[in-house]
Amino acid sequence: MSARRLRAIVLRVIAEIRRDRPSLALLFIAPIVVTGLLTFILRDTTSPDVRVAIATEGTGPAAGQVVTRLASALTGAGMTVTVAASPDASRNAVRDGAATVAIVLPANLAAGRDAQIALVTKGLDPAGDGAQIQAVSSAIVGSLASSLGAVLPAVVHQTVYGTPSADPMAPFAPAIVAFFLYFFVYLLTGVSFLRERTGGTLERLMATPVTRGEIVTGYTLGFGFFAMFQVAILLVWALGTVRVPAIGPLPEFSLGLGIAVAGSPLLAFAAVLLLALGAVSLGIFLSTFARTELQVIQFIPVVLVPQFLLSGVLFSVDSLPAVLQPLVHVMPLAYAVDALREIFIRGADLSVTSLQVDLAVLAVVAVLFAAVASRTIRRDVV
Amino acid sequence: MMNSDSTSAAAPDARQPAIRAVGLVKRFGAVTALDGVTFDLAPGRIYGLLGPNGSGKTTLIRLLTGMTRATAGSATVLGVRMPDRANLARIGYMTQGDGVYPSLTVAENAQFFAAAYGVEDAAQVADALRLVGLADRSKMIVGTLSGGQRRRLSLACALVHRPPVLFLDEPTVGVDPQLRVQFWGHFRTLADAGTTIVVSSHVMDEADRCDELLFVRAGRVIARGTGSGLRAEAGTGDLESAFLRFAGESEAAA
Repeated sequence: MSARRLRAIVLRVIAEIRRDRPSLALLFIAPIVVTGLLTFILRDTTSPDVRVAIATEGTGPAAGQVVTRLASALTGAGMTVTVAASPDASRNAVRDGAATVAIVLPANLAAGRDAQIALVTKGLDPAGDGAQIQAVSSAIVGSLASSLGAVLPAVVHQTVYGTPSADPMAPFAPAIVAFFLYFFVYLLTGVSFLRERTGGTLERLMATPVTRGEIVTGYTLGFGFFAMFQVAILLVWALGTVRVPAIGPLPEFSLGLGIAVAGSPLLAFAAVLLLALGAVSLGIFLSTFARTELQVIQFIPVVLVPQFLLSGVLFSVDSLPAVLQPLVHVMPLAYAVDALREIFIRGADLSVTSLQVDLAVLAVVAVLFAAVASRTIRRDVV
Repeated sequence: MMNSDSTSAAAPDARQPAIRAVGLVKRFGAVTALDGVTFDLAPGRIYGLLGPNGSGKTTLIRLLTGMTRATAGSATVLGVRMPDRANLARIGYMTQGDGVYPSLTVAENAQFFAAAYGVEDAAQVADALRLVGLADRSKMIVGTLSGGQRRRLSLACALVHRPPVLFLDEPTVGVDPQLRVQFWGHFRTLADAGTTIVVSSHVMDEADRCDELLFVRAGRVIARGTGSGLRAEAGTGDLESAFLRFAGESEAAA
């Protein structure tokens, strides 16, 4: 490998990206916008607006009394409560949108375990319905318990690592940082290497003494250079927070997501960078199978979305179906997400075995993919 | 002047052929692109590969530059059997497409290919750009250049390392007549300085500027000679008719 030729390739890749303003914006601004938006949504989720219509299938003063007690308990929990004339009327209220949940008490409420209280929702929005059901059920349980003369104990959540965070973004941040980096580095490398193939410059480059290894290494270092900045900026944005005092009519606000990190940010930086180097090779490799830039984008559902689903970004790896579990072990992103969670939440350092394994796998993947990518640059292929 | 530099190692020996093809065959699956081509090309001359599109000219050049491997036969350039990576430092190759980076400047493109060829003397980059008349546009972004200017840059990138052997694949396609005359002027200057040039073209009126012509059809060289020699042999007044006459003969023989 010639240092001079390698340097020329690295500098050329850097010069090309530097002139490509939209790509630079994609690299640096898009992840900040998306993580900012996600944090805003997760942190500022207001408690659901619950409007309850209560009805009972029972008759007589006893049934009426239960309804009244429950209604006052729910009102006390901050919900809007109306008492419907009949179970059908309460269902209609949900259908019309007058209520979000209908509570239908059975006639045999006193029968204990055979009694079923029906909670009726529209069923169009599973996540929203879930939040409503949760709010209503805990209120019902509390109300029934107190009507039986019992007081329920409080349930508290504790964690082995760190403290259970009230910040809903904390467990997501490591995964989101890793995913965005992987995504954007793959996309940019894939597209620019495809241009190299279709623009005839690769053919021309192969007619010089430059080796395939020099090309892949040059690309990796060139894109790695930008990935380094991207990771640094994204980490500063995610971990830091700067209070901007009120100026004139502008109210005080803070910049940065201020997500707590228990471990070393530098270690997190190293882990994500390893992932990014693998993404460069992936981009070069997949550009072999693409003929147009659109096709590079078409690989996203095939290559990146499964990684997103199977790497614990949104869904916990442990909760995945058993059939899919083995696949997790071949997803590079899964190791990066795991490494970052170890560092962010557990505060792991290099002495932790599971983190060593994660980093080793990421390094091996980066080297292995680079070797495979360089095999795809044949002198035979235009 | 163009090949008298230290990077282009051994100067071509005038007694040895600069380029030798022996029984070159290239098949892509069931398609035979090149069907047994044999020739010797002497140093310091301009050779024209003439033939219709799809006749095998580009495949022949890609075999001679080592961009693809022959199914059978051998290609030798400056005494070295191709493909040979180190030998590429002594070969210039102007591809059919421009093959330059649109987001870089003219100078950055030339410097990049110079570095890829291992050229250390910055003056060679300036020389190459001056030769194609782009010296005053060296800071321009290539994407903003006209098609003709890009073609000139492509040529500069192919000769920035002052190669003793130069392959030009349809160098004048999309080039206006004035620039075409300039290009041929450059080629002649280089050849006079000892560079062996192989130019592929399907434009017959350019052919008379070559020292020697090779008619290529269906993967074979069907005739070889000077323009006037081939016309005389075919008994026609123009090269197009001569080509058709030779093509008919080779078909009858096959």
